[in-house]
Amino acid sequence: MTWINAVVQGLFLGGLYALFACGLSLIFGVMRIINLAHGDLAVAGAFLIWTINSQFGLNPFVALLPALPIMLVVGYVLHRTVLARSLRGGALIPLLTTFGLSIVIQNALLQGYSPDVRSLGAAAGDWTTGSWRLTDQLSVPYIGVCTLAVACLVLGGLQLLLRRTAFGREMRATAQDADTAALVGIPAASIYARATAIAVGTATLAGAFLAVHSTFDASSGPTQLIFAFEAVIIGGIGSLWGTLAGGVVLGVAQTVGAAIDPQYSILAGHLVFLIVLAGPRGRSLITRSAPA
Amino acid sequence: MSVPPSSTTSSAPLSRRDLLRGTAVGVSGLALSPLLAACGGLGSGGGSGGKTLKIGFVSPRTGAAAGFGEPDAYVLKLARKAFAAGLTIGGKKYQVEILDRDGQSNPQRAAQVANDLINGEGIDLMLTTSTPETVNPVSDACEAAGVPCVSTVEPWESWYMGRNAKPTDKKAFRYVYHFCFGVEEFHKAYAHLWPQVSTNKKVGVMWPNDSDGNAIRSALGPLLTKEGYNIVDPGAYTDGTNDYSAQIAKFKSQKCEIFNTFPLPPDFATFWRQATQQGYRPKIVQVAKTGLFPSQVEALGSIGVGLAGAAYWTPTFPYSSSLTRISSKDLAAGYQNEVGKQWTQQLGPSLALFDVAAAVFKAVSDPKDKKAVANAIGGLTVDTPVGRLEWGKGPNGNVVVTPILGGQWVPAAAGSKYKLDFVVCENSCDTNVPVAAKLKAYGA
Repeated sequence: MTWINAVVQGLFLGGLYALFACGLSLIFGVMRIINLAHGDLAVAGAFLIWTINSQFGLNPFVALLPALPIMLVVGYVLHRTVLARSLRGGALIPLLTTFGLSIVIQNALLQGYSPDVRSLGAAAGDWTTGSWRLTDQLSVPYIGVCTLAVACLVLGGLQLLLRRTAFGREMRATAQDADTAALVGIPAASIYARATAIAVGTATLAGAFLAVHSTFDASSGPTQLIFAFEAVIIGGIGSLWGTLAGGVVLGVAQTVGAAIDPQYSILAGHLVFLIVLAGPRGRSLITRSAPA
Repeated sequence: MSVPPSSTTSSAPLSRRDLLRGTAVGVSGLALSPLLAACGGLGSGGGSGGKTLKIGFVSPRTGAAAGFGEPDAYVLKLARKAFAAGLTIGGKKYQVEILDRDGQSNPQRAAQVANDLINGEGIDLMLTTSTPETVNPVSDACEAAGVPCVSTVEPWESWYMGRNAKPTDKKAFRYVYHFCFGVEEFHKAYAHLWPQVSTNKKVGVMWPNDSDGNAIRSALGPLLTKEGYNIVDPGAYTDGTNDYSAQIAKFKSQKCEIFNTFPLPPDFATFWRQATQQGYRPKIVQVAKTGLFPSQVEALGSIGVGLAGAAYWTPTFPYSSSLTRISSKDLAAGYQNEVGKQWTQQLGPSLALFDVAAAVFKAVSDPKDKKAVANAIGGLTVDTPVGRLEWGKGPNGNVVVTPILGGQWVPAAAGSKYKLDFVVCENSCDTNVPVAAKLKAYGA
């Protein structure tokens, strides 16, 4: 029963990782940028929701409704003003830019919100600590199910957007070859900016669930970034369903590892990541030939 | 860099050779200046550097441990005000300047700012506080440079043994001194706190795989076993773990009615929410390292009420700062009024550092003599908000042991501006601090 419980909890943890990973996956797939500020943008989103919650007394999940459009605009402006310029500077500059951005966001949040730790768990209501107790050793937390469902909806929605709509077609074309896409009249800059907006939007969603799952403060971003990055690599770049699978594999690896010995929890996740990296998918990543 | 070949000497009076020579001198000058400053600093003959005493203060103001540094601005203000009139030592008047630096919760950064203060500013005394990541590198830098240093808020074992001193060493360091609680104080506090609630004496522990967790496992574990507690240790977990179902399952199946942990704040929040989801409900939830500050407990919401913790200072400590003459009660009240936030345990030890600084300068005939200042700390007795510190009586020549008292986070009294209050439930380490309440079972 311990093992079943480990797998079930891992599944829900995977949902959280997948939510974190999808924005990272999208930006990497479309622009070939590893956005090192992704975790910090998620935390910034969590702070925004916290602010709305404490100012207007809205439930954090209701506060998401005004917060999401704001963060979409933030993402769009971020690309137009910062990322677009750094993209012209070659492969390394965007990496440095997002690294710098991460430091700027962390310190701005520290300045604005003080180092206090915060959580949205209490504000979201008591149901977030409730669960279905199937047996004494197996329980299914409501918030876990909710996180996984939202992850499936977001990734499924993005997949539909990419496969079924004109905007998705343009995005795929730009991802494969921005210059050629420009020849047939697809403005790469605009596609990139919209992709960044969506990525920051999903990061906000992930930040909200992280804030309910645990506590957060200005320096919480980088830890989650590592897991998100691992989920992207395990799942395979460019495939959004793959990202979901990657998140779940990582989550289950961590919980099953912990069931063997708590020391192996994080390590098991890293090992799965390294095995994937050493395999053919990792090689294609290094040669940068993975189709988006 | 390329100089156009057509440039004439009249339009560009700086020839390439001149430029190189100039640069070389500049570079060697830059390289030498810290050395020179260091020599100036090491020369303990006195008289150098005028009549200003410089105190360096390094604490984590940003980064993961920023919560510790939060009240620093207020404490620094109090200390600067107290030092504003200067100090008269041996008939000479000295101005006192405090240079505060942020260690950014990062050992490399802490070492760097410490070296800047020592070499660049030529400080006469270093003060540092909060967590091994800040205190240890600063202490190391001071010991190496021969600058006296006083530190606090890091268990003394991790400060002493963590920096290559042997437990049997009588006085391993010449320039650095420390005052803080140690593992024995945790043992005392827990041994007096836990019997207040009847349990099956089975303790589920979550001690992480980091310096604190491993020190606690090897030192506190055996002490608790000796007290008759049955330790259930699922093993060391890595900081930053996002799922604790394996540990929760084990604690549930072993029916651990006491739970003890030394985690980082987000890890405890994740664990405790998950434990609630999965129906693990111990009678005593003893949290250390996190849950020190009200914001950390408030963030947990209703499941934070009733957590047991420990305090190295509370406003009920019946002591005053010898430098500022402010009592513990007024210190907390002043912080709450002026900063508008609830008191935290950091106020006491941070102000105590400046009490030590003032006392040691007054204890020597020449405060610019670093060796004399360092020796004077070794025999110093000084009154601070955390109690009377007496070097020379402690476990070794460098360390004074201060108390840690067990207590509990309870809902604040009606009419309070704040949601929670920390009440002291046992005072085995310092019986002068009043016991405010008896420990209640979690959720009772």
